[in-house]
Amino acid sequence: MSTVKATNFQNASSATANMVTDASGNVSFGGTAAMSSSFLRNRIINGDMRIDQRNAGTEVNPAVTQTYYLDRWQATSTAASKYKIGQNAGAVTPPTGYTNYLGLTSLSAYTVGAAESFGVRQLIEGLNVSDLAWGTASAATVTLSFWVRSSLTGTFGGSLRNSDGTRSYPFTYTISVANTWEQKTVTVAGDTSGTWLTTNGIGIILIFSIGAGSTFSGTAGAWAATNYLSATGATSVVGTNGATFYVTGVQLEVGTVATPFERQLYNAQLAQCQRYYYRISATGNNQPFANAFCDNTTIARGAVLFPVTMRDRPTALEQSGTVANYAIISAPTGQNCTSVPAFATSTVISSEINFTIASGLVAGQGCLLRSGSASGASAYLGWSAEL
Amino acid sequence: MIFKCLSLIEGETQIYARVDEDGLIRLTCTADYPEFKAWLAEGNTPLPADEEV
Repeated sequence: MSTVKATNFQNASSATANMVTDASGNVSFGGTAAMSSSFLRNRIINGDMRIDQRNAGTEVNPAVTQTYYLDRWQATSTAASKYKIGQNAGAVTPPTGYTNYLGLTSLSAYTVGAAESFGVRQLIEGLNVSDLAWGTASAATVTLSFWVRSSLTGTFGGSLRNSDGTRSYPFTYTISVANTWEQKTVTVAGDTSGTWLTTNGIGIILIFSIGAGSTFSGTAGAWAATNYLSATGATSVVGTNGATFYVTGVQLEVGTVATPFERQLYNAQLAQCQRYYYRISATGNNQPFANAFCDNTTIARGAVLFPVTMRDRPTALEQSGTVANYAIISAPTGQNCTSVPAFATSTVISSEINFTIASGLVAGQGCLLRSGSASGASAYLGWSAEL
Repeated sequence: MIFKCLSLIEGETQIYARVDEDGLIRLTCTADYPEFKAWLAEGNTPLPADEEV
């Protein structure tokens, strides 16, 4: 490869240099730098694992299903209690420039059955990958990059998959040194076949496997018309008791080059996550959730506005499960609830919720829905529009 | 885990409560909630509102 050594680059019609380089690698533009894709390159949300609205760093044990833990990251398990997961679990130092990672720890030496799989994955909304034109002759090449660390070494597996599992691309990467962060890059020629949604449904699923049976394992580096979640022969993390698997700095971008991880302001990244999940967490007693009105002597109905438009209309309300965590205040005093807060209805920008107390509300009077007077710090309200 | 009906508020949509293994209700939802639909598809039926879990 040849190298052009120059400080200034200037258009023939321009009076001054259009692009100036310096010895430190900085490049200054006199005008606008236009790229074939935007500066918002990363199709992964919360790739640096900073946002954890649900658990705030607490380590949890995934149930048998697909469940979200760190924002946008879903743990998958076909058997319970085989691993635990959490933000910064294991308390190792993240790679330079990162403060967080997603940590998994195997809880047994489990032999994965043929039709079993374990891993973490991100379901990317179709609207965010519609320009890739997958499923057409113009399918764009993408490059996946990430930092990974494990107590195990060897060949590890993952996959890119479509929404219904009729197209998948198993990939491998090698962890060379145990308990050491390594950055990996995988370039994938876009799929010219199959159906890839470009709606607010599932566009692409990125999977990091920590154990997959033969049914879900295929030849690495090739598209297949089936539901492969990993590559044949990949290391099973759940197969070793106490084995760890940590990942962060995940980026999926158009092209063949893994560019530096796309940094975002915290509030912008949180807002991206809130399109899929929004939680209001109280940190103490008597903290407000929503304005409301008294529907009758026992029920108050309030509305919560979401900070961003959600992907879809939520159909459920999550809360702590403890009635004393919640209260209604209405003149002249407040009372702790006698039932947990209940979902009523929602749009993509708001939700109506109901709080209930034993008696004493005056129909038509205004009131405030808030955390309880004694154990309010455990109160939260959550809405999901996850894929 | 099971689901039970909450008392119907006149003119409003039926709301269901998910009762977890420890007896706590940590989620309430409409019939459109995916987890509830999957539970129904397994052949389950929500308990009536006045039935104790």
